[in-house]
This record gives sequence, structure tokens and C-alpha cells, in this order.
Amino acid sequence: MTGKQRKQFWNVIQITLILIAAFIMLIPIIWIFLAAFKTHVDVYQLKLFFTPTLENFGTVFDAPYNLGNKLINSTIVAGVTVLFAIPIATCAAYSFSRFRLRFETSMLVMILATQFVPAVVIILPFFVMFRDLGLLDTRLGLIMVNLAIVMPFAIWMIKGFIDGIPLETEEAAMVDGSTRVQVIRNIVLPMAAPGLFTAGIFCFIIAWNEFLFALILTNKDAVTLPIGLALFKAEEGDLWNLLSAAGIIIMLPMFILALIIRKYFVQGMTMGAVR
Amino acid sequence: MRDNKLKYILVLPAIIVVFATAVWPLIESLRLSFTVGRLTKPNFPQGYLGWENYTWAFMEEPAFWNSVEVTVLYTLITVILTTLIALGLAMLLAPGGRLRGGVQTLLILPFAMSPALIGVSFRFMFNPEFGLFDAFFGVVIPPLAEISWLSDPTLAFVVCVMADVWGWIPFLTLVLIGGLASIPQDTIEAAQVDGASSWRVFKDITLPQLVPVLAVVLILKAIFSLKTFDQIYMLTNGGPGTATQTLSHYIYFSGMKYGQIGYSASVAWVMVIPMILLTFLYARYVFQKR
Repeated sequence: MTGKQRKQFWNVIQITLILIAAFIMLIPIIWIFLAAFKTHVDVYQLKLFFTPTLENFGTVFDAPYNLGNKLINSTIVAGVTVLFAIPIATCAAYSFSRFRLRFETSMLVMILATQFVPAVVIILPFFVMFRDLGLLDTRLGLIMVNLAIVMPFAIWMIKGFIDGIPLETEEAAMVDGSTRVQVIRNIVLPMAAPGLFTAGIFCFIIAWNEFLFALILTNKDAVTLPIGLALFKAEEGDLWNLLSAAGIIIMLPMFILALIIRKYFVQGMTMGAVR
Repeated sequence: MRDNKLKYILVLPAIIVVFATAVWPLIESLRLSFTVGRLTKPNFPQGYLGWENYTWAFMEEPAFWNSVEVTVLYTLITVILTTLIALGLAMLLAPGGRLRGGVQTLLILPFAMSPALIGVSFRFMFNPEFGLFDAFFGVVIPPLAEISWLSDPTLAFVVCVMADVWGWIPFLTLVLIGGLASIPQDTIEAAQVDGASSWRVFKDITLPQLVPVLAVVLILKAIFSLKTFDQIYMLTNGGPGTATQTLSHYIYFSGMKYGQIGYSASVAWVMVIPMILLTFLYARYVFQKR
């Protein structure tokens, strides 16, 4: 084989491997998509071709499943969590980015560490406290604990964005007589807006997919979508067509959001350790 | 307002939230771990027990040791497998172009999927009657055709590992692609001109420069593997028996199902300690970059 042939040969091998990997990545997702459009008869067979139906998407919103309630709960819980998290995180991120603070490193490590504490450890005392306060099975309770998981991501991510804003503009405005608060409002916030938006979407996805807190703290009124998946276990086994339809309702909006912010996903998850 | 006051006012709300939602529950868990802490009985958390919950877990509970074993094994296997496969995939996808770029975009999808849903989808794929993967493995490895994966202790564990690896490869691949992109190309090109084989280039140039990123990936994955709960809960719920019961799942069960908050808090704290070590290791890499 000549050098060129060898190169071509390797190229074919590589492309084959890439296609196989992409196929393996997609197949469980595709399979859910197919199952969601199958009737409850077709879903119990390994069929690739079938007459699609939209019936499942209607059924999941009807009694006794009422997935609509869970959809509303998930949207409110994730949305309000983000609405609280982003402003709080932005203030902190600006301060960490622009000033030297006493105990700065300790604070940043602490914030980082909260992300790594197992959720099951955090939830035990919250369960006891919410039981006493009557906050079990409420959206408010869920929003409070969800702040715990999104806060570190939000702070680190927004800090990364603010670090990237050049200092000169801010300094120039200060020289012209603007106060620090004016500088933050008129210069930093507009420039950091895309970053705040990205961090908001990232946190929304995390809060939306959150499972353990909702499992422990809710049982009827405040149940979120991922916990709602458990509804589709019947006496005769799992109702796969309905499970799949619910699965699409959970994942499709997140796919769209994730694609919007895809460039920043890695940075957000590693909290700036990898850029 | 002066900056030296303002800068502390700005971080205060965040610090309060972090204290209230993470530091306080950690300390409160520690306190509860020394009490009887029975949810179903009056006067919670009853009395002070000293180290009894801890000694009970270590001396009297095979189920605790089982979950430690499952968690350690699960962490080791998933960390190694995910990292190796992700490294391979990152090398394949790093050059970019239309196909590779497209696949990189697709990699976001599994990552935006709720881990609970990943658990559900793998239970679906390994259903003995109409599961796609079950059918596939039945054809490729005939002895497995008649076996119900999720009823067999070893195979159920294997399915849990597969679901985890499937869910995490995309993210680790994207991180490693980022790492590969930051390696200066001129050393690699110089070595290629000198006639070094691809393997030598990878081993002597690429890999050493990738070490910091690999370290971040390994630590991050180890932390998330140790914490695993959602997927296991939806996929096997710890079963069959306790074959796939991770520590998080064991803590959840003893705390929430049996109402032994004190005992489960003590087990939870056994789990917190390796986490703290890993976090400090991770923090070192984060702050090196600053």
C-alpha cells in the first residue's frame, strides 16, 4: 500500500468508527421516540415499521396520569430556581471576578465543594425540617433545595463570563464619574447578558432534570416530571408507550435548550477547570 | 458606596444561600448521625447515641458493606471505561469537519437527558421480550439469548454500568476534545516530519500534555460515579436483591423507607469524607488555572 492509500484506508476506518459511535449514542433516544408513537400493542414488539399514533400524548395528560400538573410543577420549580439563582450568582460572580476579598479562595472552594456533596446527605435534614414546617410536597420547598444544586454552577459560570469582559471600559466610566453600581448596571450587565442567559438555561436544565430531591420531598401536589415517570408502572408491568411519550415531553425541551447553549456546556459543567 | 464595603455586600446573598442549602444540612446531618433519629417515633431525633450508628454500620450491617463494595466497583469500572472510550472518541472527533462536527453536536443530547430517564430507557432496552439491546446481545452472544438481564445479579450490574457509561461518554468526550484543541500543533507536526509514528506522537506528545485535563475528567467522573442514584433507582432500584445497591441508594432506603434518619446520616457521612478529599484535589486543578 502506498502512503496515500494507507491514509485513505485509515480515514474509512475512522469514519466507520465515528458512525458506529454516533449510532450507539442515538439508538436509545431514537427507540424512545419510536415507542412514543406506537400503540400499546406495537410497543411490545421489536417493530421498526408501524402505523404511528399520537394517542399516547393525549393519554398521558388525561386522568389518572395528569402529566400536565407535573409539567407545570417542573416549569415553575426550575424557572423560579433560575430567577433566584442568576441575580444572586451574578452579584457574587462580579465581586469574585473584580475584587480581592478576604477568604476569597476559601469561599470559592466552599462553593465548588457544595456541588460535590451527595444530594442524599443534604436532603435528610431538609426532609426533617420541611416535615416540621409543613413544606413537604410544596413547590416552595423544592425551589429552596434546588438552589443548592444550581448555585455553584451559576456562580462559576458567570464568573467565567465576567472575567472575559475587559476592565478598560469599566475603568473609563469610573474616571468619567460613574459610581460602581452604575458601572455594573450600565456596562457589566449588558455585556454579560448573553453569559447570564447561558448560565440561566444551564441551571434550568439541571433543575428540570433533578430527581432525588423531588423524589423525597414530593408525593402528590408538587411532583415534577422525572418523578412522574413512576406513574406508568401498572400491575401488568411498565406501560412503555406512555413512558416513552412522557420521556419525550421531559427531554425534547431540554435538547433544544442544550443545543442553544452547546458551546458553553463543557465550561459550565467543569466550572472553569477546562476551557 | 465604597468598593471595599460593596464587594462583601455583593457576595453575601450567595454565601448565605450556600450556607443554608449546603453547609447547614451537612452539619445537621453530622449531628443527626449521633442520634437515634427514628422518623416514625415521637420526639425526633430522640436521644444522643454517640458513635453507635457508625459502629453498627461497620460491625453489624452486611448490607452497608455490600453497598460500599457495589459503589467502589461501580466507580472504578465506570471511571476507567468512560475515560478510555471518551479519549478514543475525542481523538477520532477532534480534527473537526462536517461529519465530526455534527457528531460533536449530537453528543450534547444524552447529556441533556435526565439521568432518571436514562435509567428508564435502559430498562426498556434490556427488557427480555422486546428490548432492543437484549435482542442484539442475544444474537451476538447466543448464550445470553435466554437470559433476563435485569434479573441476573451480575448482568444487572453490567447494565447499570452500560447506562452510566452511555450517559457520561458524551460529556467527557467534549471535555477531552477541548483539551486536545489546546495542545500546540507545531510540536506534533515537527515530530511527524521527523517520521515519528502516530502511536509515538500520541504516547510521547499528546498524552503528557493532556494529563491536566485527564485529571480533571477522572476526578469529576469519580465524584459523579460515587454519588450515583437516579439511574440506579429507575433502572434496577438496587436489585435484584441488593446486587446494584449503591451507597446513595442504601442511604435513601434506610432513611426514607425505614425512617432511620440517624443511621442513614452516619452512612452518609462515611460517604462525605472521600468526597471532601476528591473536591480538594479538584479545587487544586481549578485554581492552578487562575
